[in-house]
Amino acid sequence: MSEHEASRQAFHQAFHQAGADMLALAAAGALDAEEQRRLEEHARECPECRRELEIWSGYSQGLRRLPQPAIPAQLMERTRTRLVQERAAAADRRWDELMLGALALFAWTVGLTFWFVARIVTGGELVIMGANLVRFGTWSAGSTVLVWLTAAVAALALGKRRRELRRVL
Amino acid sequence: MILAAAMNPEAFSGAQDAIARVRRGDPDALTAMILRYQHRLYRYLLRLAREPAAADDLFQQTWLRVMEKIGHYDARRNFESWLFSVAHNLAVDAWRGKRGESRLDDVDASDGRESPGALLRTGDPDALERLLDFERGAVLAACIQELPVIHREVLTLRFEEDMKLEEIAEVAGIPLSTVKSRLRRALEGLRAAMDARSPGRKGV
Repeated sequence: MSEHEASRQAFHQAFHQAGADMLALAAAGALDAEEQRRLEEHARECPECRRELEIWSGYSQGLRRLPQPAIPAQLMERTRTRLVQERAAAADRRWDELMLGALALFAWTVGLTFWFVARIVTGGELVIMGANLVRFGTWSAGSTVLVWLTAAVAALALGKRRRELRRVL
Repeated sequence: MILAAAMNPEAFSGAQDAIARVRRGDPDALTAMILRYQHRLYRYLLRLAREPAAADDLFQQTWLRVMEKIGHYDARRNFESWLFSVAHNLAVDAWRGKRGESRLDDVDASDGRESPGALLRTGDPDALERLLDFERGAVLAACIQELPVIHREVLTLRFEEDMKLEEIAEVAGIPLSTVKSRLRRALEGLRAAMDARSPGRKGV
């Protein structure tokens, strides 16, 4: 046996054992060009691998021709309805946030104005239970809590009314 | 994407235009997009979920998520890979939620267009061959149902969606080497399932 022939046989023997994993991947078109070339070279000499390649090729063809599922009735309509509902809900959320911010700003402005008026009317001192209510710190803490509570209730009430109106329309 | 743009610039710019319109909140553009991808997306989700009701819900959730996230979509990415990755993530979340429950019921794999009886009644000379094809396909589809979800996914993406390995990696969020190993295991598992049904048969 020539050196070339011995080397060729050694290649095929080694490839036959190590390349078994490549046969399925070849059918999936998942080998790189060099792997594909070596596999084809081996398969030309090896009937067993050639047969295996044919079997895997049958799987590949079968997988590309599987029975196709039918789209459920009204799937498109149901999806569109859900999208419209979600869009409306998102708009409502944005509107609630905007209203809450606007109402809070308005209520805080009113609170600040009242603070100036209260300072002028009381001469800067209105002590109840030991606390001077017209001191800036006390007034702003009290009015901030009041402002946010009022704004949140108002925004929720307005939002609810808006949603009820949309349902009626 | 760059390659797609170079090969078919008109189609590329049309797709980008449709995406831009969806981004601006154009409902007609979104409807057109859903119509365009509905068969492929539903098929992919059904292969994953196996149960039509679950695939139906995932389909709707996918489009809700698309509408929510389209602003973050990077136009340099392949849109189809992005769309399927959105669906993949939702399916994974749903599957995690159901993990531990019993296996889902088998999917009705019939295509709704042809039935074995209808094929034979047509009098078509190729009817018998088509009937055999139909039965082979049905057996193969039934065997796919027995595979784990990660194997069903790579099979449908590779053979039905005809995605490149890189695209499958992007959709499933896994390295290329994992795509290859999953594909190999999926095919081997499928063959083992087919052999188990028909021990004497070789191939499909």
